[in-house]
Amino acid sequence: MAEKTVVISQHHLKPIQILKWKIREGFSVSVGSIVLLYDFEKVDQKQQRRFKSPQAGTVCKLIAQEGAIIRPGEALFEVEACIHPTVMNDMCADCGADLRKDDLNATASVPMIHSVPELKVSEEIAQRIGKADSDRLLKDKKLVLLVDLDQTLIHTTNDIIPPNIKDVYHFQLYGPNSPWYHTRLRPGTHQFLTNISTYFELHICTFGARNYAHRITAILDADQRFFSNRVLSRDECFNPTSKTANLKALFPCGDHMVCIIDDREDVWSYASNLIHVKPYHFFKHTGDINAPPGLEKHENDEKEGVDLTKFKNIPNLEKIMDERNNRLSPVKKDDILDNATDDEIVLKKKDDEFETQVVNNKKNIPTADSPVEEKATDTNLNGKSETDEVDGSNEKMENVETENKLENKDITQDNHITDNSKEDVKEQPKESCEESQENKSALNSSLNLTEIEDSDDYLLYLEDILKRVHRAFYDEYDKMESGEVPDLKKVIPAVKGGVLKGCKMIFSGLVPTHIKLAHSRAYQVARSLGAEVTQELEESSTHLVAVRPGTAKVNAGRRKKDLKIVTPDWLWACAERWEHVDEKIFPLNSKGSKNRHPPPHCSSPEHVPNYAIHNTPASRKRTPSGRFMDTINPLMSFSSADIADMDKEVEDILDAESESEDENLTEKMDAIDELAKDKEDSSSSSGESLTAEMPRGHKRSHEQRQDDEFEDDTKDSDDCVSAKFRRGEQLDSDLDIGQDSNSEGSAEAPDEIDDGEWNMMGAALEREFLSNS
Amino acid sequence: MFYHISLEHEILLHPQYFGPQLLEKVKTKLYTEVEGTCTGKYGFVIAVTTIDSIGAGLILPGQGFVVYPVKYKAIVFRPFKGEVLDAVVRQVNKVGMFAEIGPLSCFISHHSIPAEMEFCPNVNPQCYKTKDEDVVIHAEGEIRLKIVGTRVDATGIVSSSLHSFHMQIHKCKL
Repeated sequence: MAEKTVVISQHHLKPIQILKWKIREGFSVSVGSIVLLYDFEKVDQKQQRRFKSPQAGTVCKLIAQEGAIIRPGEALFEVEACIHPTVMNDMCADCGADLRKDDLNATASVPMIHSVPELKVSEEIAQRIGKADSDRLLKDKKLVLLVDLDQTLIHTTNDIIPPNIKDVYHFQLYGPNSPWYHTRLRPGTHQFLTNISTYFELHICTFGARNYAHRITAILDADQRFFSNRVLSRDECFNPTSKTANLKALFPCGDHMVCIIDDREDVWSYASNLIHVKPYHFFKHTGDINAPPGLEKHENDEKEGVDLTKFKNIPNLEKIMDERNNRLSPVKKDDILDNATDDEIVLKKKDDEFETQVVNNKKNIPTADSPVEEKATDTNLNGKSETDEVDGSNEKMENVETENKLENKDITQDNHITDNSKEDVKEQPKESCEESQENKSALNSSLNLTEIEDSDDYLLYLEDILKRVHRAFYDEYDKMESGEVPDLKKVIPAVKGGVLKGCKMIFSGLVPTHIKLAHSRAYQVARSLGAEVTQELEESSTHLVAVRPGTAKVNAGRRKKDLKIVTPDWLWACAERWEHVDEKIFPLNSKGSKNRHPPPHCSSPEHVPNYAIHNTPASRKRTPSGRFMDTINPLMSFSSADIADMDKEVEDILDAESESEDENLTEKMDAIDELAKDKEDSSSSSGESLTAEMPRGHKRSHEQRQDDEFEDDTKDSDDCVSAKFRRGEQLDSDLDIGQDSNSEGSAEAPDEIDDGEWNMMGAALEREFLSNS
Repeated sequence: MFYHISLEHEILLHPQYFGPQLLEKVKTKLYTEVEGTCTGKYGFVIAVTTIDSIGAGLILPGQGFVVYPVKYKAIVFRPFKGEVLDAVVRQVNKVGMFAEIGPLSCFISHHSIPAEMEFCPNVNPQCYKTKDEDVVIHAEGEIRLKIVGTRVDATGIVSSSLHSFHMQIHKCKL
């Protein structure tokens, strides 16, 4: 520590005599602590005065002697000033100085501890600690792994879900009336963490709130074996949309030993030491509930996951919770505890922290010997009536009550109802500082819980990838001279680049003709895996990745013996697992493949820049088409601004038409040409005619989507090609984009539009009349 | 240090409580409002022991609320700089350790931990220990510490959302 020494001198105007030193060398003093007793020289009445230190630090030398007379300005003692290297809440942790009050400059600026951002240390100490950390890691042959939570290891939803799904944890974070969270662990999470923690020091880096992150950590890692307080949550993130900024603070010596697993690349600024994980999707209709604002992605929210709404015969969780709260009265508690003892003993063996008791109402009611049930009906009629209600709706309902001892007595909990089965519901005792209750589905009750088929096995592959990365790093480290450490930012891409090394592939039907091969996503995926990609079939080609059979390349390729013909799915599987997947699993059959685009974890939303250009017409702001029928449509009300807009457009159209009549060609121009022209010269008349025409096509597709009843199939298929393309959507694979919107398509379009819109308007009027009468 | 002192507090009561239970309500309200709070001057109010007097209530014009000045005695815990106290370790990390003295949370920096004690992150739980493992400090362990500085923080960082002191120690011992 570079400490500066300060000489403290006598600051009175008169000479003083030192009576007694109150400090010795090596003592630490703070501002205002008494260092010596003195008196002014030649004063009649003797009096002891206290000399207080104006400076905090460690006394390194006493200059003046006891009994000596010190003139103003002469030195008294030397202090090594504290540079406040460790600061907690603006207070120096070494000397106790208040840095807010004294307006002192602290050198501490690095918040090194994940969960305590207010604790800061100086750059120097951070470096020292960081160095010690990386030395220790190297000694233990470990690396650092930053683990994301949402959609990487877990999936959480706030939706209402049935309460009896296996491996789903239910909890509230912010008191009794706050929303419920339901968290599903990715299959094999515990195994994954156990296995991987021998190779990596695990840290959590999540955009979830602190409460949430720590709650999930408690679920994942109950005895703190894996993460032990290394949890970085949104509350500690410097930047709301990026996690990268915190790396410097956590790893002051550099992130060369840091590996990251996350389901999104953008929050890490596409760092090369990131392993992009396939997002875990369990609850349908829910994405990442903790995605940074503005960066949500939804591409698979509706497609993937289990739709839990099919478990309709199960009463929903909220209802159960309500009922439970109504029914449980403190009176019952004792009875239940008496009854419970046997069950408890069994369960306690299973899990010490839980205490569960199950009362089967169905059995109890006929025998009528259950004090619990009687008490329940006597003391709480309200609760009983609710039970009846639920009983009515579920024929074979059984009532399961679970009782818990809570540290806070005022919250009674848990009475669970499931159909056709008993359910063990475990309750975790309230943690001392957290205001959250937790219902945990019992893992070991074989009789009852609905197990949901979850085919996600990605963690097995991820574990394999991480082990390979670890091995590659330490292989290289062993080869290097002592003192040098390889950089994971180079090691990880190298490992990935070795996956398909030696493969030479060509694509067929995979890259749209208007996109350069080198710019296509498929090309980038293949290159990042180390494969070589060529435009045309070559002698040395090993793989042909084809979307559908029958293309020239496929036909040519069939003649080559050693060429493996696969669907793009093979490439995506390789990219997902980082391994050379057996080609036999993905043969090209007559149906071909639909997945021309890489799955989302191979292509973040930001990674489709090539399509953005073609999106422009679609994303252009739509204005009402401005035709007469729209203005008289009674269902539409326009503001004056809208009408002004329309007027202008009508004029535009008229202008454009008068010009196009001269040329007699514009009408037949296809959309692509127009787009090109539009870009070249947006102010030209053809550009304007395009803008006038564009909304029509849009309008129609929009209306068709809105009113399915008026949809005309044949028109729809005609419309699709051009409209879809304009919108930048994915086209059918058998469509040649170069000749996309052919002339007759656009020539016919106006008629159809009229038809469609008149139809729609008629129907709308009809509807209005009907509703009025 | 603990003190038994006389304190005053004003209770603001909603008109809905006006009735035979009024004074009872004032008392319960005093307990909930005062116990567990913290001020820079008196420290933490641990427990109200006696309520000496409940003064005449003053109805606030225009509101209907009534204000009762209450005098009471309470046990308070006021930590001082230089005081030596026993604490329970809550968390150890590479920068130092966090400990709790009842409602008071404190941080002990690495600098203040005896130099012969080393941080061992690999064992579970993490701990500070001497080479010969004579002394091991880990979470839930008990230490004796000396306060070098305190701060009252109105934001209440600690879970209970109380005002809290933060302090550091100089020497610690098992």
